[in-house]
Amino acid sequence: MSLLLDIVTTAAILYVVALGLLIVFGVMGIISFAHGAMLTVGGYAALLVTWAGWNPWVSLPAAAVAGLLAGAAMERTVLRPLYRRPLDAILATWGLGIVIGQVITLAFGRQVQFAQSPLSGAAVILGATYSQYRLLLVGVAVLLAGAIALVLHGTRLGLVTRAVIANENLAQSLGVNSARVRFASFSLGSALASLAGALVVPLSSVDPNMGVPWLVGAFMLVLLSGSSLVSMAAAAVVLGAAQVLVSTYLNAVLGGMTIAVLAAVILRVRPTGFARA
Amino acid sequence: MLAGALAVLVAPLLLDTYSVNVLTRSLLLAVAAVTVDLLWGYTGILSFAQAAFLAIGAYALALVSSNLGFSAATGLFALLLGLGAAGLAALLVGWLAFSYGASPLYVSTITLVFPIVFVQLIFAGGNFTGSSSGLSGFDVPELDTESWFRVAGLLLVAVTALTVTLVRSDFGRLLVAMRENDVRCQFLGIPTARLKVLLFVACALVCAGAGWVYAAATAVVAPELGNFVSGTELVIYTALGGRATIAGPILGAVSIDAVSNYLNGALPFLWALIVGLVFVVVIVALPGGLLSLLRLGRVRQPRFVPRLVEAPAATPRRDGTVLRVEALDKRFGSLQVLNSVAFTAHAGDLLSLIGPNGAGKTTLMRCIADGRERSAGLVEIGGQSIRRMPPHRCTALGVGRKFQTAAVFETMTVAECLRVARSRVERPSLFRRTPTIALPEAALEVVQATGLADRLGVETRQLSHGEKQSLELAMVLALEPTLLLLDEPTAGLTKQERQRIGALLADLAQRHRLCIVLVEHDLDFVRSISSRVIVLHQGAVVLDGAVEEAVQSETVRTIYAGAAHV
Repeated sequence: MSLLLDIVTTAAILYVVALGLLIVFGVMGIISFAHGAMLTVGGYAALLVTWAGWNPWVSLPAAAVAGLLAGAAMERTVLRPLYRRPLDAILATWGLGIVIGQVITLAFGRQVQFAQSPLSGAAVILGATYSQYRLLLVGVAVLLAGAIALVLHGTRLGLVTRAVIANENLAQSLGVNSARVRFASFSLGSALASLAGALVVPLSSVDPNMGVPWLVGAFMLVLLSGSSLVSMAAAAVVLGAAQVLVSTYLNAVLGGMTIAVLAAVILRVRPTGFARA
Repeated sequence: MLAGALAVLVAPLLLDTYSVNVLTRSLLLAVAAVTVDLLWGYTGILSFAQAAFLAIGAYALALVSSNLGFSAATGLFALLLGLGAAGLAALLVGWLAFSYGASPLYVSTITLVFPIVFVQLIFAGGNFTGSSSGLSGFDVPELDTESWFRVAGLLLVAVTALTVTLVRSDFGRLLVAMRENDVRCQFLGIPTARLKVLLFVACALVCAGAGWVYAAATAVVAPELGNFVSGTELVIYTALGGRATIAGPILGAVSIDAVSNYLNGALPFLWALIVGLVFVVVIVALPGGLLSLLRLGRVRQPRFVPRLVEAPAATPRRDGTVLRVEALDKRFGSLQVLNSVAFTAHAGDLLSLIGPNGAGKTTLMRCIADGRERSAGLVEIGGQSIRRMPPHRCTALGVGRKFQTAAVFETMTVAECLRVARSRVERPSLFRRTPTIALPEAALEVVQATGLADRLGVETRQLSHGEKQSLELAMVLALEPTLLLLDEPTAGLTKQERQRIGALLADLAQRHRLCIVLVEHDLDFVRSISSRVIVLHQGAVVLDGAVEEAVQSETVRTIYAGAAHV
């Protein structure tokens, strides 16, 4: 039972962490290497809330706002001139990641720190005792995916965004301001990344490089799912399950590379991954 | 090069021991950065794995030396072990990465996965590999610091000399062609996937060699040497210095890595912040890297222009069936685009495929030139089935395919494009630029008739649309095909250009006995040149016969005019 819960919660965490990257990839066609740094920003937002002695729940909106602002600034200054050079844009996001990481290091130091968890303790589910917080993350993943689906399919911004994802040139010629869509989605993607950073902090700790290990998993998940929220859920469950099973039955170190290797092999056999061809 | 070699021999006399130590490391990283430049700058493969290959070479020596001690024999064994392991790993990564249709993003992703796997394996090795703290204090050859500096420097000079020779050779142009348009290269009969894997393996071997020297010189190895952050640092050196310059990455590696060592003590973290900022600024504002600042004022040297000569006539073409298509189906999911298409074409035929938009004309061309495209059926070129062959092997059977929009290599000159097109027939030299380009008579005629012969040194992006079309035709003819597939060769051309192309095609069919299949919308053009017409409608052959037959056919008129007129 707890194995099953491990799989479900691991998939949920992967999903939450990759969500922001999915939006950026869908609209801009680039993988943002700054995603890891944005997770870190969220982690430190949570740390600041703890230091201030506020309610730990405040860390979630605080992180989202910090990410939104940072993302908006990055898009305006660095990414906008690189629309026509996607591979360069990817490198630039890596540079931005370094800059953010070093600024955080200069401000907070290199040491590992801890933020307060909004929810602790264990719940008993069908006879198994399990961390309440991990269970909460499953709900958060579903809520966030639902909210994004609602925005994409229920608002004008969502409609325009879907148009840009499907065919940017056509959307532009129909009068869609695709620069604004890119701006909105990079900002939103960064906000989601920081929110995810604040959400994973209670599971581990805060340090200037905390985002990097998550980056590769998120990266793989997005490549496997094209730009679909549904196929990413499928990818998250498969990769999450593989990671948990390998870590449990083989060894933890191999578990650490399961996602990367499995995703690479799946993409070799089926370049569209879990997206419907 | 001599100056470089002299410099690395003399430099240790002028530097203090600390600097010599620091620079030894930087020189070895520069070797790896040169391979990044060869792969990324020239060939378009953005690899994050080069640091991991270097680390494999370093770990091989560290592991052998820790367990067996150091001697000439174990040292050599470690070198071979490192080269073998790196080569095998590169072969595996390359096989995964360079499959048919893989996007550049996928290739980079695979090279990103490799260092992650490498580091996890080192962790999994426990005490044997030193886990996260690495290995140190193993026996190394007894050489002083200065000598190691010289070894590293000479290695860098040698690798640089080899790389510069390679990128300036005919083969170097082929690398750039693959960067510019990989698909066009495949249809020129070039096995791009195999070449990229070979190049990737060669670069991995160079990195592993540098890794051996690294471990021997420092007697310390750690997993950080090969993780993906180190891999991205090599990319940063290359981008900052200037990609596709060779000198840029070396300067980038040596200056940034060396300065990091001095400044990290004085300004902890701030230096990394500055590097990050400069990197972002260079990517945005100076895509050619810092080295391009130096070149601003320099006058561009005229490009090397080879002479055209006529290639010895190939074996005379036999008349007979060149192309046979039988029961050919193509489905996209439930959509049937081609429905049991069957026809034959002979040497000397000028066969036009006509039909309204969406009839499946271009799809049919694709199925003939690439064995993996069709869903069912048979395609034979010169009596041989194309089975499931990739484009470059279909080309070897005699197929020459010209694309709908002219696909030439934009940053290369006319002569260079023609040279690349000849790669299948004439193996390109790895170490020099051949002063002549031998073209078969047909290609030579096109080049001369269209005036391209006088513009050999011009970059193709400066050519007009019509000139690009002619150049691509000449490139395809340079393959000495028996079957020429042309997708709307007159689209976007002026009336004059159209007439010239028409006359040329008629001549190719009659005098050179080529079998030409073309897709065309201009019915007057079709009428004036074709010997036969096939009408496709909704994926099926409606009519196969003489031009006049098609013109008078009631069915054809209905198809074009729409059902309302029936």
